[in-house]
Amino acid sequence: MNLRFLSCLIFLLLLGTSCTKSDRNPVFKRYKTLYQIGDQPAWATKNWNDTNWKKRMKLVPDGQIFWSRTPIKILKAPESLQPYGLRLEVYGAYEVFWDGVLIGRNGNPGREVDVPPEGELWTTFTIPNHLTNKGEHLLALRLSNYYYPDHIGIHEFKIDEYNDLVTDRLIKNSYMHVFAGAFLIAAIYFLFLFLGNKKEFPMLIFSISCFLFFSLTMTHFVRTTIPIHYSLHVIRLEVITGIMFGISFLIPLYFSMQFPYPKQKLFLGIYGVVLLSLYIFKHHSFDFTAYNMMVSLWVFSLGIAIYGAYKKGKGALLVVLTLLVCIIIRYTVSFGISLFVGFSLILLSMLYVLSLRIKEQRLAYETSLVQSTRLRLELLKKNIQPHFLMNTLTSLIDWVEESPKKGVLFIEALAKEFDLLNQIENKTLIPIKQEIALCRSHLEIMEYRKEINYFWEEKGIDSAQNIPPGILHTLLENGITHSLPLEDNSITFTLLFESNREYNRYTFLTVAETVRQEGNIKEGTGLKYIKARLTESYHDQWEFTSEPLTHGWKNTITLYL
Amino acid sequence: MYILIVEDESRIAKRIERMIRTIVGGALQSIKHINTLQEAVTFIENKTLDLVLLDLNLNGHSGFDLLTTAVSKSFHTIVISAYKEQAITAFEYGVLDFVPKPFNQERLEQAVQRITTKETTTVNTVKYLAVKKRHKVQLIPMEKVVYIKGAGTYTELVLVDGNKALHDKSLEKLEQLLSPTFERIHKSYLVKMAEITNISVSSGSKYIAELKNGERIPIGRTKYKDIKAKWF
Repeated sequence: MNLRFLSCLIFLLLLGTSCTKSDRNPVFKRYKTLYQIGDQPAWATKNWNDTNWKKRMKLVPDGQIFWSRTPIKILKAPESLQPYGLRLEVYGAYEVFWDGVLIGRNGNPGREVDVPPEGELWTTFTIPNHLTNKGEHLLALRLSNYYYPDHIGIHEFKIDEYNDLVTDRLIKNSYMHVFAGAFLIAAIYFLFLFLGNKKEFPMLIFSISCFLFFSLTMTHFVRTTIPIHYSLHVIRLEVITGIMFGISFLIPLYFSMQFPYPKQKLFLGIYGVVLLSLYIFKHHSFDFTAYNMMVSLWVFSLGIAIYGAYKKGKGALLVVLTLLVCIIIRYTVSFGISLFVGFSLILLSMLYVLSLRIKEQRLAYETSLVQSTRLRLELLKKNIQPHFLMNTLTSLIDWVEESPKKGVLFIEALAKEFDLLNQIENKTLIPIKQEIALCRSHLEIMEYRKEINYFWEEKGIDSAQNIPPGILHTLLENGITHSLPLEDNSITFTLLFESNREYNRYTFLTVAETVRQEGNIKEGTGLKYIKARLTESYHDQWEFTSEPLTHGWKNTITLYL
Repeated sequence: MYILIVEDESRIAKRIERMIRTIVGGALQSIKHINTLQEAVTFIENKTLDLVLLDLNLNGHSGFDLLTTAVSKSFHTIVISAYKEQAITAFEYGVLDFVPKPFNQERLEQAVQRITTKETTTVNTVKYLAVKKRHKVQLIPMEKVVYIKGAGTYTELVLVDGNKALHDKSLEKLEQLLSPTFERIHKSYLVKMAEITNISVSSGSKYIAELKNGERIPIGRTKYKDIKAKWF
């Protein structure tokens, strides 16, 4: 298991690093961008004197037209038939001029108020081959930013072979989609597992966490496949932060369930409040918020995992290690990548812990199956164990020899007991009436054997009640074995039933002379059978007592409701 | 004959009693049925008996203690039990016979007749001799016993380490249980054959068995031929 887990980690790390590759030397050098509000076609030309232009522009209200000029040095001319492309992430609508030539348009600058939103936040343009000689060039943008007038600037800028620019993103995207798909499948699979057993909340939380991680990946990488207008961008960031908030709460919640610690609700409550305040505080610095939530998730999870490891919780140590590995990753790759790699590692460690729990449950189930089979055999054995069978047969022979008619009645009683036992042999609960019938038929047999007058009395029996098979029968057997008849050669067994809101109680009384016990009475197989049967059907919601009386014995079975 | 039946199943006890009466007939002086362990132990301690018919499972208790007490006594014990696997143990402790349930008159008669016919057990599986010492029953492993000397109604067990122990059973009864490992070489001696190193004839045609521990034990004139045949 551990080996497989490790290999998964390695694969994932490789995947993570493959996403970061940008190994080629840049083909360009970008100089400082300058801005100016206003609109003059001449500003697009290469040699315009822009010395009085501003280095930074904080706000351009009302969708006014403004220009930006960025000098660029092409270090290496493109190969023939392989034109360069230009990728931009710029808030706003704009026209792109390269050395004074219009090479592209994104939206409708200056007309944003009148025309519905057009264009997208991330765009790639081709630069005609003859304009990309080695040497100085100028990129001028004619812009307007109606929706986020305070987000002025070029946020991403890249020049490379056009084909590479386009395909690189698609390749990265396809990796991330496969990656996200894996977590989607995990989410669905564990959701179904949870629906099959609705008590397994860790499974549900794991499923939701996987789904949120899938959504996070998809939302993050959706920009390549679906055009997003810059006015909608903040919605995407809100969604991402919301998802981050969910994951940041669910992961520690999951670890809390797997590695319980004292005052869980209190700690989770505090954590929830901390997370919520981080969410609200500087809400629109999305990266900042995400980072803070990541850190608090990490700290809280690590605390839980360390406590779990201290308490020798299975898998806790691996979670601690995973969380420590996350630190290393954080400081080796960019925040964006460390976020995805880190989350996937944590989710994998969660999956590992879950698999340990599932294994534990399976083992427990198998043990319970073995136990049930053992109990079933024990019940079957009751009537074929030599003490019962051989003594019965000896008495039976004697009855047949002495009084064939009584012998026949004896055989009939025996047949009845075997029949009843056959009916209940593979059940874990049987109607109380059936158990009583079994006891009565047993008494009939024992009367022939022991020649003692056995009496059976019952009070308050509720026919609707069920009971594990052979329990009263075992108490009866014990009563017969360990008792001597009273002076009138009789032994009476009484079964009482009482029921209230809290419990159902059976009291089983043996009225007889008890055989003097020597030394400590050790727990016989009979009592073990009773306790095992009660545990099988009622877990720990039962109580069994057994005590001597002056004349006989008293057993009580209390079944809590 | 004084007989005790220890059995907690009334019907079976009656059956045994009825059969014993038929088998023993006029020789029966008294027959008693007891159905609890405690009563049986007290009875055995205080009464003279010739035979005890014992069920090993009484009121859910193993009759093992009762068994060791019984076999340490002068009388023979026959076990009547539903548990056939207990037979080996019973024989190891020196019961005369083991009658499995359900039984019939023939089988019981066969067991009882071993007492009267002095028939020896065919295969000796006795592993211990139960000896009463200070109100406690002690089990002496058979490999520690060198020879047994008759001493009136008792017998004296002479052990490898030189110690001696008194047993309540007569030499005849022990011979019945211990043959053929032990041989009656003299009317007063029962010797483990493996312990004899040499047989010598001393003056006056006295035959002497020399044992590994250096002791010299007389061989009965009538027994000599048999012993010689077996020994050589």
